[in-house]
Amino acid sequence: MAGLTRTAGAFAVTPHKISVCILLQLYAPSAQMSLPFPFSSISQHNRLGLYLLSLTKSCDDIFEPKLEDLINQLREVGEDMDAWLTDHLTNRFSSLTSPDDLLNFFNDMRGILGSLDSGAAQDDQIILDPNSNLGMFVRRCILAFNLLSFEGVCHLFTSIEVYCREAHSSSAQYDESNDNLESLIQHDQMDMEKYIMDKATEEIELQKNASGRVPFHLHTPEALFKVTEGLLVTRKEKSRTNTKKAEATQLACASSSTVDDTLVDESLFLRTNYQIQGFLMEQADAIETHGSSLSSSSIESFLQKLQNLAPELHRVHFLRYLNKLHSDDYFAALENLLRYFDYSAGTEGFDLVLPSTGCSMYGRYEIALLCLGMMHFRFGHPNLALEVLTEAVRVSQQHSNDTCLAYTLAAMSNLLSEMGIASTTSVLGSSYSPVTSTASLLSVQQRVYILLKESLRRADTLKLRRLVASNHLAMAKFELMHVQRPLLSFGPKASVRHKTCPVSVCKEIRLGAHLLSDFSAESSTMTIDGSLSSVWLKDLQKPWGQPVFSQESGSRKSSTFFQFCDHLVSIPGSVSQIIGASYLLRATSWELYGSAPMARMNTLVYAALFGDSSSSSDAELAYLKLIQHLALYKGYKDAFAALKIAEEKFLTVSKSKILLLKLQLLHEHALHRGNLKLAQRMCNELGGLASTTMGVDMELKVEASLREARTLLAAKQYSQAANVAHSLFCTCHKFNLQIEKASVLLLLAEIHKKSGNAVLGLPYALASISFCQSFNLDLLKASATLTLAELWLGLGSNHAKRALDLLHGAFPMILGHGGLELRARAYIFEANCYLSDPSFSVSTDSDTVLDSLRQASEELQALEYHELAAEAFYLMAMVYDKVGQLEEREEAATLFKMHITALENPQDEEPNMA
Amino acid sequence: MVSKESCRNEIRAAIRQLSDRCLYSAAKWAGEQLVGIEQDPSNFTPSNTRFQRGSSSIRRRFSTISTPQPSAGFSQPPATPLPQEEDEVIDGDLYLLAKSYFDCREYRRASHVLRDQMSNKSLFLRCYALYLAGEKRKEEEMIELEGPLGKSDAINRELVSLERELSALKRTGAIDSFGLYLYGVVLKEKGNESLARASLVESVNSYPWNWSAWSELQSLCTSIEILNSLNLNSHWMKEFFLGSAYQELRMHGESLAKYEYLQGIFSFSNYIQAQTAKAQYSLREFDQVEIMFEDLLRNDPYRVEDMDLYSNVLYAKEACAALSFLAHKVFLTDKYRPESCCIVGNYYSLKGQHEKAVMYFRRALKLNKKYLSAWTLMGHEYVEMKNTSAAVDAYRRAVDVNPCDYRAWYGLGQAYEMMGMPFYALHYFRKSIFFLPNDSRLWIAMAKCYQSEQLHMLEEAIKCYKRAVNCGDTEGIALNQLAKLHQKLGRNEEAAFYFEKDLERMDAEGLEGPNMFEALVFLATHLKTNKKFDEAEVYCTRLLDYSGPEKEKAKSLLRGIRMAQTDFPSMDMEHFPL
Repeated sequence: MAGLTRTAGAFAVTPHKISVCILLQLYAPSAQMSLPFPFSSISQHNRLGLYLLSLTKSCDDIFEPKLEDLINQLREVGEDMDAWLTDHLTNRFSSLTSPDDLLNFFNDMRGILGSLDSGAAQDDQIILDPNSNLGMFVRRCILAFNLLSFEGVCHLFTSIEVYCREAHSSSAQYDESNDNLESLIQHDQMDMEKYIMDKATEEIELQKNASGRVPFHLHTPEALFKVTEGLLVTRKEKSRTNTKKAEATQLACASSSTVDDTLVDESLFLRTNYQIQGFLMEQADAIETHGSSLSSSSIESFLQKLQNLAPELHRVHFLRYLNKLHSDDYFAALENLLRYFDYSAGTEGFDLVLPSTGCSMYGRYEIALLCLGMMHFRFGHPNLALEVLTEAVRVSQQHSNDTCLAYTLAAMSNLLSEMGIASTTSVLGSSYSPVTSTASLLSVQQRVYILLKESLRRADTLKLRRLVASNHLAMAKFELMHVQRPLLSFGPKASVRHKTCPVSVCKEIRLGAHLLSDFSAESSTMTIDGSLSSVWLKDLQKPWGQPVFSQESGSRKSSTFFQFCDHLVSIPGSVSQIIGASYLLRATSWELYGSAPMARMNTLVYAALFGDSSSSSDAELAYLKLIQHLALYKGYKDAFAALKIAEEKFLTVSKSKILLLKLQLLHEHALHRGNLKLAQRMCNELGGLASTTMGVDMELKVEASLREARTLLAAKQYSQAANVAHSLFCTCHKFNLQIEKASVLLLLAEIHKKSGNAVLGLPYALASISFCQSFNLDLLKASATLTLAELWLGLGSNHAKRALDLLHGAFPMILGHGGLELRARAYIFEANCYLSDPSFSVSTDSDTVLDSLRQASEELQALEYHELAAEAFYLMAMVYDKVGQLEEREEAATLFKMHITALENPQDEEPNMA
Repeated sequence: MVSKESCRNEIRAAIRQLSDRCLYSAAKWAGEQLVGIEQDPSNFTPSNTRFQRGSSSIRRRFSTISTPQPSAGFSQPPATPLPQEEDEVIDGDLYLLAKSYFDCREYRRASHVLRDQMSNKSLFLRCYALYLAGEKRKEEEMIELEGPLGKSDAINRELVSLERELSALKRTGAIDSFGLYLYGVVLKEKGNESLARASLVESVNSYPWNWSAWSELQSLCTSIEILNSLNLNSHWMKEFFLGSAYQELRMHGESLAKYEYLQGIFSFSNYIQAQTAKAQYSLREFDQVEIMFEDLLRNDPYRVEDMDLYSNVLYAKEACAALSFLAHKVFLTDKYRPESCCIVGNYYSLKGQHEKAVMYFRRALKLNKKYLSAWTLMGHEYVEMKNTSAAVDAYRRAVDVNPCDYRAWYGLGQAYEMMGMPFYALHYFRKSIFFLPNDSRLWIAMAKCYQSEQLHMLEEAIKCYKRAVNCGDTEGIALNQLAKLHQKLGRNEEAAFYFEKDLERMDAEGLEGPNMFEALVFLATHLKTNKKFDEAEVYCTRLLDYSGPEKEKAKSLLRGIRMAQTDFPSMDMEHFPL
């Protein structure tokens, strides 16, 4: 409760600060001291000064370096005089034998400060301006020491003993540890690529942003800056350190991880509240960034220690909640979330950011509800989540917390659009929500739309930029998937365009991405020299340890400069995340609209620019898309190779989609090679991944039964396949999955075509085409047109002309954007059409047919699609036979035979991935 | 069987040994039990019976339950022999000096004096003194190092060396049962619970009279499984242990049985009486508890322990005067005991002065940060003061001290319900019900939550009320609510069933009130529409006994019934126009 008061002792004297003071004494020896001036050149002296400057800047950081670390750094800064520096340091420490020595030491410290008025100092003496950075530091140290009670001095004394003892014990292992440091840093760099965030970050971010104007993610709220100049470093920098720690934890054995060690060592001098809060924010970020690749138990033990140190620091509970959320521990997550809000009434950590607005005496329990709702959502309890969010809407209205309301509405619309909810009446039923109450008769879609609009409006007025942006993206998603319909379409006058509107999708996506320009205007306030100085410190630790400021290393300098720039223009993580998401959405929409190159390009942009900084699940999605693209356009070999790489990256992420992709690919592959048993097994495994709860994991469920129907179709069990497809269509209809409906209809048409019932297939194909038209699914439409043409041809050879016309209409789309299979099918079908056309003579025009067949066979061989390949070679052989080219005929025939035998004996050797 | 005489001899020897080792609270406890043993009439001396005067009143009053013969249970163990004190003439002098230092609370000095002594007794005293010195320093450091974010985890710095020494001793087997006890304590402090348990079990098996060891062991038994897995020799001290352990695990029946049995020997033990009262309190037998405490205070007027419980009883019975008397008395005895502060807090709370109550609860908590009931009671006060977030905080602390405290969970639920977050509150009610599944009040609270305007989940509410009825709803809310809910949902049959039951209950308890009118009116109307005129008439006539609008309603109903009865044939006749 009293955790937020800032006490006078915020700046505590610590052994590390005493080290810095000792070095300062060297840098600016007072007149009385009889120390020799050890510096051989001015530049050396300046180097020490710069080093001290960065030390003083960074000494508000939560982790203070140990004496050993300090000595290591000195070695790099001091060049030839490092031995002298460290000797002096350790000697000075060992001369502190009683509390009285400490007292004297600080008295001496006064001597190095110049007095404000005296200009009459000796010429050769270096005087610290009391108002300079270094001077301020010394003054703060002296003041803090003078404020200490005798007990405090005793404690300081014991902690100095510990500080020195540690250095002694570890100095023997110096060389070894240096090696470790290098490897650590290398690890760190390799790991940079792994920076991934979980899907839930969006949610978590929402939760955090719920606090109000100052976003959480940019964890450099101005208020914090003023207090702790050097503490906060830009995001990237932070995550660097974090990984380093994380890596270290993983390297070291679990129980005695480095983080813990450091923290325990620090236990003697607790940091200030602001430092800890800032530190915890970083940790929260780290948990998000690494997803579950960070071992949850190590975080847990570290949090436990922190809690022991500061029982009144409630934010620990929130961190624990985040940690548990990422390791999918429902009960612990729930327990900790509730505990956090019970203790702090949702104000700690939030009002740090918003000190002025203050909170009502009722606390901010609406945020608790919001978080709880999101948690239920993540764990797949849509109904509970909806109830909780409804309550959140009510409570935030009651407490007129508009910000929270805007976020809650956004969360709600997200929930409604993601979860398959057949009708809201059963869920929202009795519990009312002012937003939904008027619309109790509306469909889920309309409700989502209204919620989004409401949220957008509020976010706009409250200037919540991130929320606005993500709402725009959500809106784009909505527009992409839904035919726009007036909310109240009464009477004949209501103009109804039954089509989605790609223009508005594009508009929304662009509006969403506008965030960047907004932020670049703001970001100037975000650079602080604190971050610069710690970059500098980091550079010191680089393994090669070249003198950074020496003149001769021009190349090095430029790279440092580049790094500086990099940090200077850093964009807050949440912003880049949203912008990244917009690229992904772009890719998805192009995928749906049927432009493979555009989809691929956008995904690549995402993977290249945002892969590092974004959430793990988004990055995973990008990889997923790229691999799928490979499978479709380059064949399985490449796809599996790529999958292997992706697997290493993402398998640790909770709720990984990589497994799903692998099953999909294996299924597809097995289907093509005619290994139906394997296909069936993969299909079943796919279905097993889905949650059994109604309405959860709808996408996965649809996918699984679609694949089941296709497997049955390949096994020539037409009626069963048709049954599965029919029930799937019903599900899609129930849950309003329009786009899926189009593909199910197409599948039904295929089934009827294969079963030789072309007449029955026609209406399905036509229906699919009309669906595709209204949702602008061009590629799917082309493939439906192909099926339609095939159906026509199936009705008899007198329809060949019509079929050919249809095919030629769809050809540009198919050849431009279609995958290998689709293209091959089209080519074979074209040949088929020609061959069955009575007016077409093979002998005169054989090249037309042979060309397309050759194309088809090449593509099919890449795909290992034996059935179609056999067909192509068969046709080829026939044509060659007609033309009388016997040699080629034989060749085609052997290839035909090869494919047929391959099809009939699907080797059970599974692809190496399985 | 264990004879009272042998018990007495054992305890007498034990008290001496315990105080030799400065285990004062264990000695105190043993002393209490010693005088609690019923005297043989043969060696009756007035001084011996002084403590026992009046004690029998409670027994007289509650002697309905037949006390089992003490002979029944104690299968005489291979009697743990009382360890003979080794003759310590050699280091005796130093030991005496050390003990006197210890008695003056100069622990380090005491341990220093004994630095080279090798006898078991000296060894133990040295380690124990060192441990206490560390504890004292720890307490001081905790205050010195208190930061803005709460206390730093100051640790007892002697633990490491103590553990090293004791474990070495244990390995060589040169450790006695007291050393094992201390080793257990040290291990427990270091967080090594299972080893601590093993060490303590070994200690109590070899020397059962050390109550401190038993209570440390009991605090390590957090579940019945752990308790059952302990391999304990049977001894009458084990019964004491089991009684208190069962109580802590909320197995009040079993605990009461144990104490009942022990009373066969220790018939005048204040401790047993207080423990029995505690168990009865948990079973909400307030009248009985009050009598017991009165009795206890008469025998032991300066007792502070457990008196907070007594104050809770007085609070529940709204006995202001008695509570103020108790508070005054306890305050004069020792005002800096958490119990005393809690009693005063209770008093102010009863008087409606919630700010003052909070102040005293705070003081109690300052004295003992883990004082569970003070946190909960403070939460109640904050609820009264409508400071819900402070209440939530206080309750949450109580829950974190002991997650089984159903009152605090309930309080949390209540607070959130007050804030208009019924759905959020449900989780807490569920928690509290989990720990006390057969308390109708909790079920009713949960039902009310479901019933609230915002949630309006009536089916769930009905389920909860049904559970409340099954648990024996004492306040009679559940039946009425069940009936009303069914009525609201248009299930008249069920509604009638529950109204009838409610009516039966009210008749049995001789209650009257609006609920009764409501039930009567509904039943009469319902029966009338179902054409059960005779029964309807019975209810109507009952209504006629009361004045007010109900009477008029009854009259009109009766008229309707008469009409229906008489006009029935005539109505049929309407179909045959004359």
